[in-house]
Amino acid sequence: MRPFKYTNAKDVPSATRLLTANPGGRFLAGGTNLLDLMKEDVERPNELIDISRLGLDQIKTIATGPHKGGLSIGGLGKNTDAANHALVRQHYPLLTQAILAGASGQIRNMATNGGNLLQRTRCPYFYEVSMPCNKREPGTGCGALEGINRLHAIFGWSDKCIAVYPSDMSVALAALDAVVRVRDAAGQERTIPFGDFHRLPGDTPEKDTNLNHGELITAIELPKNNFAEKSYYLKVRDRASYAFALVSVAAALEVSNNRIDQARIAMGGVAHKPWRALQAEQMLVGKEPTEANFRLAAEAAMADAKPLEHNKYKVELGRRSIVRALQVAMDGKRS
Amino acid sequence: MEEKNKMVGMPVSRIDGILKVTGKADYSVDHPVTNVAHAMIFKSTIAAGKIRDIDTAAAEKAPGVLAVITHKNAPKLNEKGGIRGGAMLQSPVIEFYGQHIGLVVAETFEQARHAARLIKVDYEEASPRTHFEKLSKEAVTPKDKERADVKRGDVKAALANAEYKVEEVYETPMEHHHPMEPHATIAEWKGDHVTLYNSAQIVSGAQNAAASTLNLKPEQVRIVSPYLGGGFGSKGGQWANLVLTAVAAKMVNRPVQLALTRHQMFNSVGLRQRNHQKVSLAATKDGKLTALAHETTTHCAIDNEFVEPCGDCSKVMYEVPNSLISYRVVPMHIILPTYTRGPGKSTGSFALESAMDELAYKLKMDPIEFRIKNEPERDPTSGKPWSSRTTVQCLQEGAKAFGWEKRKPEPRQNQQGNYLIGYGVACGTYPAHQRPSSALVKLDRKGNEVTATVELAAADLGTGTYTILAQTAADALGLPMNRITVKIGDSDLPPAAGSVGSVGATSYANVVNDACIKITDELMAKSGKQFFTRPTAAQLMLSEKVTEFQTRADSKELEGADEYSSHSFNANFAEVRVDMYTGMVRVDRFLAVTGAGKILNPKTANSQVIGGVAWGIGMALSEESVVDPRWGNFVTRSLADYHVPSNLDIGTMEAIFIREEDKHSNRLGIKGLGEVGIVGVSAAVANAVFNATGKRIRELPITPDKLI
Repeated sequence: MRPFKYTNAKDVPSATRLLTANPGGRFLAGGTNLLDLMKEDVERPNELIDISRLGLDQIKTIATGPHKGGLSIGGLGKNTDAANHALVRQHYPLLTQAILAGASGQIRNMATNGGNLLQRTRCPYFYEVSMPCNKREPGTGCGALEGINRLHAIFGWSDKCIAVYPSDMSVALAALDAVVRVRDAAGQERTIPFGDFHRLPGDTPEKDTNLNHGELITAIELPKNNFAEKSYYLKVRDRASYAFALVSVAAALEVSNNRIDQARIAMGGVAHKPWRALQAEQMLVGKEPTEANFRLAAEAAMADAKPLEHNKYKVELGRRSIVRALQVAMDGKRS
Repeated sequence: MEEKNKMVGMPVSRIDGILKVTGKADYSVDHPVTNVAHAMIFKSTIAAGKIRDIDTAAAEKAPGVLAVITHKNAPKLNEKGGIRGGAMLQSPVIEFYGQHIGLVVAETFEQARHAARLIKVDYEEASPRTHFEKLSKEAVTPKDKERADVKRGDVKAALANAEYKVEEVYETPMEHHHPMEPHATIAEWKGDHVTLYNSAQIVSGAQNAAASTLNLKPEQVRIVSPYLGGGFGSKGGQWANLVLTAVAAKMVNRPVQLALTRHQMFNSVGLRQRNHQKVSLAATKDGKLTALAHETTTHCAIDNEFVEPCGDCSKVMYEVPNSLISYRVVPMHIILPTYTRGPGKSTGSFALESAMDELAYKLKMDPIEFRIKNEPERDPTSGKPWSSRTTVQCLQEGAKAFGWEKRKPEPRQNQQGNYLIGYGVACGTYPAHQRPSSALVKLDRKGNEVTATVELAAADLGTGTYTILAQTAADALGLPMNRITVKIGDSDLPPAAGSVGSVGATSYANVVNDACIKITDELMAKSGKQFFTRPTAAQLMLSEKVTEFQTRADSKELEGADEYSSHSFNANFAEVRVDMYTGMVRVDRFLAVTGAGKILNPKTANSQVIGGVAWGIGMALSEESVVDPRWGNFVTRSLADYHVPSNLDIGTMEAIFIREEDKHSNRLGIKGLGEVGIVGVSAAVANAVFNATGKRIRELPITPDKLI
C-alpha cells in the first residue's frame, strides 16, 4: 500500500475535525474492507484516522424522541456484538440473521456496524486497478457492463456502473426502516433515513452514500415494530458461507386475523443499494398471507428488473426468494 | 514381512503434527535466514503484445528499494531448462494477462509492493486470443504423442446401430490449485552455490529445473523443502518465481525472499485447463456397452503445450469393443495449464461417469448394476491383466455401507419439506507406479539403544510422508517408531521420486524398505554368522556391537510390473439436498470406497481421501476461474470470488478402504491415494443432483442459477 499518515483520534469531536480538515483522509474502524482495498491499491488515503477506540459501541433502548422504544446500535460496535445482543435477538431477529449471513466469524468480530454500511462493492473490475471502472476512477468506463456480469445489478443501474452493494446487514436495516445518525465537525447531528443513505449509481458511481466527508456514523436507530414474530433473511449464494449474495431477501410481516397489516421486502445482491420492493409490500397489505399472494407480490417486485447478459437468472431467483422468504417468515421459523 | 508387521497399517498420528500445530515446522519463508531483502513481482496488465518501454525511475528512487529487475537488466537464463511456463523476464513479449514482467527488491515487503506500483509500462497491445468458445473451433491434434487418437473397432457404426445411446458434451471450467501455502522462496548465495528454500513436490526435480535454467550444475543448487503447505500439482513443476528469487539475490548480493500473493497465484503457477468433452456411449438393451468415444477439446499456452488426459478413465473403466479417445487443443493467451489433482481423471471422470449415469437411466437399469455388467476382465486398451482391480468390490461394499437400496430410481421422488434428496454414484481410477528412488539408512548404537535415520529427498505435501516412512522403517529394522528419524525435503539427500501422480508413498516406502532389508543383509554378512531365523537390523547392531553402520538402496519399478495394468480404483457415493426454491445444493453425505493396495496408515489415508472428496465437492458445486475474454484477466481474483468449499458446504464424509495388497505392482503392495481421492467425486455429486431434481447439469460448477 502507499505510505499514509496514521492518526489516533482522541474523541468524536477531534475525529470529525481531523477528517474534515483532510479531504484525502479516511476513518479507520474495523478496517476489514478499507485495508483490503488499500493493499489492492484501490483506496489510496493519505491519512487514516483511527476511530476504533472512541466508544460509540452501546446497544440501548431509545428513551425519547420519535423512535422512543426503538433500539439504538452504536456505530462503532462490532457486528458480532450487534448480532448477538439480547435486545436485537428478541426484537429484531431479522437483523441478527442478516449480520450472521455475512462474511465470516473472524471478519464480523472486527467489522463495525457503521463500517458495514460503508462497505464498497466487490465488483472485480472495481478491484482490478488495470481495468476500467467509473466507481474507482470516474470517466474510465464500466468494465462490467459488457464484461462478466453474473453477479451484477438488475435494478437501478446506469451505463456508468452496474455494481451491487455487498452488505447483508444493510438489507435488513432497509427492511426495518432504520435511521442512520451522523455527526459532523461542528458537532451538528442529523439523521438519514436508511432508504436515503445509499445512492444509485447514476452519473456519479464513485459516491456510494449521502454521508458527507467528515461526518461520523454515531448510531443506527431501529424504530419499534411488530415484525419479530414473522421475519426472515434468506441469502442465496454460490457456497454456504463466506460468499456474497446472488440474491438475498429480508422479509417481515405483521399479521392479524389472517390479514397482512404490514409487509416489508428488501433485497440484496440486485442493486447499488439495498432494494426495497415498496409496491410489492403495498400489494400485500390487507391480503391473506397465502402463497398465491406472495407470488403476486414477487411478480410485482421483479417486474421492473433489467437483467444483463449473465445475470438473467436473478429475476427468477428473486421471485422465488421473495416467496420463500415470506413463507418462512410467516411460518415463524428461525432456520 | 507380514508376520512381523507392527506399525505399518496402524492409524498412527502424524509424527510432525506437534511441530505443525505449534508453528515450529518451517515452511518456505519461515526458514531463519538473516539479512533477507523482500521481492515483489509485478505483472502485465495486457494479455498479448509486447512492452514498448518500462519506466522504473520512480520505483528505483522509492524508499528502501534495492533493485528493480525487468527484461532490460535480467541476466540471460536458459528458457529451455526445466522451469515451467516461461515468464522469466527474458523478453518484452507478453503472452498472458498477469505474466511476470519484473520484480522490485526492497528492505521490506511493503516497500517492495509500494515501489512496484510506481512502475509505468508502455505496451504495444495485440488482440488477445482468450475466447475459448470461439477459438475451440480451431483446435488441432496435440503434438504430444501421448495425446494422439486411440481407436478400437468402429465407434461410428456402433453408435449408428445402437439400441440405446448418449451423446452429450460436458464442460468443466478452469480451476486453480490454491494450496494453503502460496508459492514462496528464499534464495541465499554462497559464492556460486545457491540454497533455495522453496516448497517442492519433487525435490530433485526442483533442483534440476533451477540449475538448468540458471545455467548452473545441479550440485550448485540446493533445494530445502522439509514441509509443503499443499501443492495439488502446482508445486510439481517449478515456476519462474523460483529462479527469479535466485536472480534477485544475486543482483542485490544478499538473501532475498519472494512470496506470491494470493491474487498473484491466479496467473503464476499454472491452472487446470477448461475442458469441453464430448462423450458418446452406446449399449444394447440389456446394458452391454458397444461404443465409447471420449473427445476432449481444450486450450494450452500460446507457445507451450500441456493437455491433461481427460480420456484416461475411458481407456480402462469399461469393457467396450468400439472405442475412440481423442484430444484437440488450441493455444490461447492464458497461462500454461498444468497438473492439477487427478489430472485428466477428475475432469474426465465427470464426463464419463455422468454419461454412464445418463445411459443407465435410459436403460432403466441401476447405475451400479450397469457398471458391473461392463466390468472388464483385462485392461481393454492395453490388453494387459490387472495387477488387481477392485471396482466391483468398491461398488458393492459402498452400496451396502451407504444404504444405496434407499435410492429412488426416478428423480424427484424423495422430497423432504422444501428439499429434494438425491443419491448418486460414480467410479474413478488412477494409475499406480513406483518410480526410481534412492534412500540412505543410518544405524547408530549407544549402549543398548539403537536408533536409525532414514534419508531421502522425498516430499511431504502434508499428507504424512514422514509418518509412513517412520512406520515402514520401524517394521523393517525391528525398532520402535520413536527411534526412527526421517529426513526428507532436501536435495542434498539421495534423490527420490516426487509426491506427484500418486507415486510418492509407493516409491518412498519401497526404497526405504529396500534399504532396511539391505542394511540387515549387510550386517548379517558382516557378522560372518549363520542364522536360523532372520534377525532384525536392530538385533544385529546389539549382538555384533556395531556402533555405526549405513547403507544406500537404489530402487526402481519391480521387474515384471509393466506386464500388468496397475491402477487404484474407487466408487463414490453422494447424497445431496437441493433447495427447490433457491437451487442451492448441499452434499449431506459422501462415501468414498477405495482400493489402493496396502494402506500404510489408515488415519493419514483417510485424511487424504476426504481431502480429495472436499475438493471434488468444490469442483462439482462452486469452483470456477472465470476469464474476461476481452482482456484475458481473471475476474475471480481472490478466495472471496474463487469458491473453495467452506466447512458449512461439507456434510459427513467417510472413507472405506478395500483390504488388498497388490504384489504385482511393487514389493509392499501399495498403490497410492493422492490422485484417486478426487476422481469420480464431482460426477457422483452431479448424478445425485439429477436423481434429486431431474435436471442433468453438464456444465460445472452446479451453482444455484443452473438449477432454478
